[in-house]
Amino acid sequence: MHDIADLERRGVVGLFLASEAFADAARLQGEALGFPAPFVLVPHPVQDRTDEELRATAERIHPQVVAALTA
Amino acid sequence: MRTVLDPTGERQTSARELLPRPSSLRGRRVGLLDISKARGDVVLDRLEELLTADGAVVHRYRKPTFARTAPVDLRHEIAEQCEVVIEALAD
Amino acid sequence: MGATVGSVLLSDGLVAVVKRDCPTCVLVEPVLRELGAAVWCQDDAGWFDGDDTELELSYRLGIETVPTLMRVEGGTETARVVGWSREQWEGLTGVTGLGPGLPEHRPGCGSLSVDPGRIDALEARYGGSGLSSRRVELADLEDEHEALFDRGWTDGLPVVPPTPERVLRMLRGTPRDPREVVAVVPPDLVECTVEKVAVNAVMAGCLPEHLPVVLAALEAACAEEFALHGLLATTYFSGPLIVVNGPVARRIGMNSGVNALGQGNRANATIGRALQLVERNVGGGRPGEVDRATLGNPGKTTFCFAEREEDSPFAPLAADRGVPGDAVTLFAGSGVQPVVDQLSRDPESLARTFAACLRVNAHPKLPMAFDAMLVVSPEHGRVFREAGWDRARLLAELDGLLTLPAGELLRGVGGMAEGVPANLAGADLPKFRPGGLLVAHAGGDAGLFSAIIGGWVSGEAGSSPVSREVHA
Repeated sequence: MHDIADLERRGVVGLFLASEAFADAARLQGEALGFPAPFVLVPHPVQDRTDEELRATAERIHPQVVAALTA
Repeated sequence: MRTVLDPTGERQTSARELLPRPSSLRGRRVGLLDISKARGDVVLDRLEELLTADGAVVHRYRKPTFARTAPVDLRHEIAEQCEVVIEALAD
Repeated sequence: MGATVGSVLLSDGLVAVVKRDCPTCVLVEPVLRELGAAVWCQDDAGWFDGDDTELELSYRLGIETVPTLMRVEGGTETARVVGWSREQWEGLTGVTGLGPGLPEHRPGCGSLSVDPGRIDALEARYGGSGLSSRRVELADLEDEHEALFDRGWTDGLPVVPPTPERVLRMLRGTPRDPREVVAVVPPDLVECTVEKVAVNAVMAGCLPEHLPVVLAALEAACAEEFALHGLLATTYFSGPLIVVNGPVARRIGMNSGVNALGQGNRANATIGRALQLVERNVGGGRPGEVDRATLGNPGKTTFCFAEREEDSPFAPLAADRGVPGDAVTLFAGSGVQPVVDQLSRDPESLARTFAACLRVNAHPKLPMAFDAMLVVSPEHGRVFREAGWDRARLLAELDGLLTLPAGELLRGVGGMAEGVPANLAGADLPKFRPGGLLVAHAGGDAGLFSAIIGGWVSGEAGSSPVSREVHA
């Protein structure tokens, strides 16, 4: 989130992807940083998924990612 | 909690705002920043295919460790080369 | 029955405010316990039942001395005594024979709630402070300096965070009401109150005694003839330059001497910066947005100095312009151009040097186009003073020397396309429009140098200098 806050400061439109376990932390850190960095959540956990499952995840979040990055 | 007084004419919000979003990603240079967590790259690989199909020009980056912010040179490089960035994948 | 004082519930009966550090309070402790008074202590939460270590009650009740003993009836304070006096305490409580072992009388101590180090914070927290600016809460992890950059409120350098305490302290620099509108600030034409000026003055690093000068500078800068909107929007170099006259300059520690146009003096640096921050934050004038300067100049961060009135050959600049005493003069200044003359010993020769250097202002072949300010240093000034030349005499001399034959200025002459159109051939053209050249006196004792501060476009299309009184 710090990276996105800095990159937005540099003029790059930003977004980060996090697992659902990270949702509260992301929201709290956004509030603590005073910066509403947008994020899209994926199902938790990530590391034990098969490649196929992870590619399906990417396909599922793709519309949300585009929506969060465009006006 | 620290409080400061707004020095402006107060016609706009005092919060730090997000940058204005482009209307679409077509033709935009989109950076995918891998934070180096296991298997995040699989999601990013597929996302790259999907975004490329959308007409975006995708650049890939990887920061050395998810535990720290990206080095300043990397952030500068992304800012020079991209209009949009997606960082992934924190879990 | 009782009264709510802020967040404190005050019961009917006897109420006292004490601090443990005060010997008189310690002395009367047994009396207070005997009376069963509700006692609030300022510095030790455990001494009595009442904890006023936040000083809210003390502040709201206007406690100036401890101990203070009050009677509260029907939610209203009906009597108050301060310090220890058996007679007064007996009168207030209706109880006789109080504190038999105590002296008749013992003065109290100062209340913590009027301690100069705490009063600003208390006023900001509990006072009907009169501040109306939006309060912005910074998030826990936000670095407060980065937070101010992120909101677009700085000129690129760090600013002092404008906390309510600091703004209240700044407002003590003026008797004016914080809600009073000082000026309508371009480009967004926003009404700017004394309070908003104070917020930006805090950010710039000003002291409260600087505030009256900032207020006067803003009034002058927003006068119609100064054309601040155009000055901001122009691609030209200029920005507002403030020259301060009168006793106020020395009283608030301004520099008119060594390095007067340079860095290192807090008043000079922060007054000029405060004006720029008001223009940016209140007026909405930001570089790259409304401000379209091709190159700008470093004085657009801050540009302010005091005129050196002692040993000056000239009357004070503002006084000569009809505003005697404490005053500011605003000029649309661009960069500083050096003038070197280490040999001239008579005013005619030195005036010729000035004229030769002034002639190139903006372009040597462009007359009546751009204003300028000539800042004469003390060593150059001495030549005029000893010859009895005042400002008018010097300006008259320069007018003559800077009346230029159009033949030298025509387009193409000297192999330069720039110049005046051919239809002006044969005319004599003044370099400066009437009133377009200002002369001031400043600088250190040593150095046979003066300075030309380039201006902006003359006349209707541009900016006219403005002088305004500084109200203490």
